[in-house]
Amino acid sequence: MPSRLFTQLSRAIGRESAQNELRWMRRALENPIRGIEPASRTIDDMVARRIRGEPLQYILGSQPFGPLNLAVRAPVLIPRPETEDWALRLADTIRAPSSSAPRRPLKVLDLCTGTGCIPLLLCHALPRGWAHATGVDISEHAVRLARENAGLCGIPVATNPHADLEQEGHNTFMPVLADLMQRNFVNRAGLEPPYDVITSNPPYIPRDEYDRLPASVKDFEDVRALLGDSVDAGDLALPQDERDKGLTFYHRIAELLRDHDLLHAEGTLALEVGKGQAQDVADIVERKARMRHVDIWKDPWGVERVVVARP
Amino acid sequence: MFRAISTLHALRYIKFARSFQTNRAILAQAQRSTASTSNVQDTPIVQYVKKKVEERRKLQSELSEEALSDEDIKRVRKIRELEPLQDAWVEWSHAKQSLEETLPLLDDPDPTMRSMAEDEYAALTETIDNLVENTFPTLLVPSSDTAHLSAIIELRAGVGGSESALFVGDLVRMYTRAAQADGWDVSMISSNVLETGGIKDAIMEVKGNGVYDALRWESGVHRVQRVPATEANGRVHTSTVSVMVLPLAEETESNSADDELFKMDEIKLEVMRARGAGGQHVNKTESAVRLTHIPTGISVSMQDERSQHQNRRRAFQILRARLMDRKLNQEMLDRRDLRRNLVRSADRSEKIRTYNYAQDRVTDHRLGMSVKNLMMVINGDGLQGFIKALQQRHHDEMLEEVLSQ
Repeated sequence: MPSRLFTQLSRAIGRESAQNELRWMRRALENPIRGIEPASRTIDDMVARRIRGEPLQYILGSQPFGPLNLAVRAPVLIPRPETEDWALRLADTIRAPSSSAPRRPLKVLDLCTGTGCIPLLLCHALPRGWAHATGVDISEHAVRLARENAGLCGIPVATNPHADLEQEGHNTFMPVLADLMQRNFVNRAGLEPPYDVITSNPPYIPRDEYDRLPASVKDFEDVRALLGDSVDAGDLALPQDERDKGLTFYHRIAELLRDHDLLHAEGTLALEVGKGQAQDVADIVERKARMRHVDIWKDPWGVERVVVARP
Repeated sequence: MFRAISTLHALRYIKFARSFQTNRAILAQAQRSTASTSNVQDTPIVQYVKKKVEERRKLQSELSEEALSDEDIKRVRKIRELEPLQDAWVEWSHAKQSLEETLPLLDDPDPTMRSMAEDEYAALTETIDNLVENTFPTLLVPSSDTAHLSAIIELRAGVGGSESALFVGDLVRMYTRAAQADGWDVSMISSNVLETGGIKDAIMEVKGNGVYDALRWESGVHRVQRVPATEANGRVHTSTVSVMVLPLAEETESNSADDELFKMDEIKLEVMRARGAGGQHVNKTESAVRLTHIPTGISVSMQDERSQHQNRRRAFQILRARLMDRKLNQEMLDRRDLRRNLVRSADRSEKIRTYNYAQDRVTDHRLGMSVKNLMMVINGDGLQGFIKALQQRHHDEMLEEVLSQ
């Protein structure tokens, strides 16, 4: 291994990470994943970019997520291992009650879908014909990337909500460009409630924490995917202290659930939260969205990471 | 290797010697050797087969009219199991009898008759040899219950520092090329490469039918004697690498075999590093995991893949392999306790092979077998010779064990 590159990279990210990341860079060049192009052609260029703070995932152009290999591109949020963990667990939870197929295909709605990782994983993990998923995002980059990832994962892209009629026996995914903060969101996004499963990993970082984020996050990933204090909070009328906690999107989602009966009476809601937010989000979901059964899942690092609720 | 398994070696020799001797001499020799090994049934393996055949006959006589009781069902099963052996025995008996009948004809005044008798004799001898040396052993030695398994090879640098690590690299290349030559799928699961270019430890996966059975005898300490690349003085150093070959089963969704190996609540799964706030706050790849099987304390760390999920899968794969290896070894030990100590167990710290570069020679200490042209072995091409010999040795030991019952 060329010592020079290792030394340079070690200085920037530490020895252990450098060893792993050089290995992965080499692998991406020698054994590229089908359909995914690394952003660089040479390992020297990759190391140079990495030293400048660019996330490895953007340099390699890919991120493994459960059994899937997803394409990732700036500025769309890179799927996190915490998200991988709970999405897999959620898939198991959905399958568990009955090993026989549900009476009708499940409708899945993922808000702030980004790369589409959550709905695509569910579509992949659930047996054929079990699920039709919709993924909504405010960013054109994200919607385009999510559509691309559906193709890479072999999941047919539905062109309208009545996909179940078109694609009998297949799980489908439909990416939708829409801003959930906007007044007429449900209509504009062409949503058709109720949904059996509603998931989201919405922006949850408070402003002051955002300003202190590491450069590889702040300088490369979409602020709209991270900042949970939305200036334009629509009709929310939140008190300032609620807004400063990065909880704006949870309030909005709870409101949408309540006002549009978005979730089926026997459905499941799963919301990823930031460290320390789980209790607050559980409260919001209980009070505003009138969920009666609320659970909190921890991530592999022991942090309360997901609020899982049922009406 | 085969001790007195084939007492017809003498007759085989006759075949080779044929071209140098007269017929009379051949005949004399045949008569002499048959006379000296007067009772062929002294041969352990033939004796054993005969014993089994008699057992079968006894079972058949014990079988009641309707063959319905539990005892009867067991008898029927045993009778059926022993049928191929019975058939082979009948073939042997007939060939032996024909051989004895042909003997006087070797003496016949008519040259045509004699010539025919000689051919007949040679053919019968070959049949008998084949039965005794191949058919009987194959039927008596139980077929390997690991025949379908692939393998994981774990290599670890031992004594010798960076030179030992360099040798790990050499062995990795050797196994890779040897496996590819045999049409097996080879891939590196994890490796710890040093800045100096050597490999501290590595885990390889070799997939294919019969891979585990072929490679399992590579487990042990491999010793290299050579002048290290880094050595300025030109002095020969001795370094070691320890190799462990583990069985690898097919990965299926619900591993029913897993129920025998472990239960999920016996597993502790840990992530390796703290992540601070984690989630959206951090985009550093943090995929390292550690699995611990609590009852045995076996622990597997994995960080070579880019996601938790992938590393977890790999770690479970290695854990399964280690647990299965443990199980197989335990079974072998249990068998040893019951019978005479014939079947070797792999003592992992045993020095099994020495690679001597100066003398261009590789010696396997278990076989007492030395092979020249070290480079051919290290390049993967010469490994097959050792593998075959070791598999044969195992087969012979299994046969001895059977015969001692």
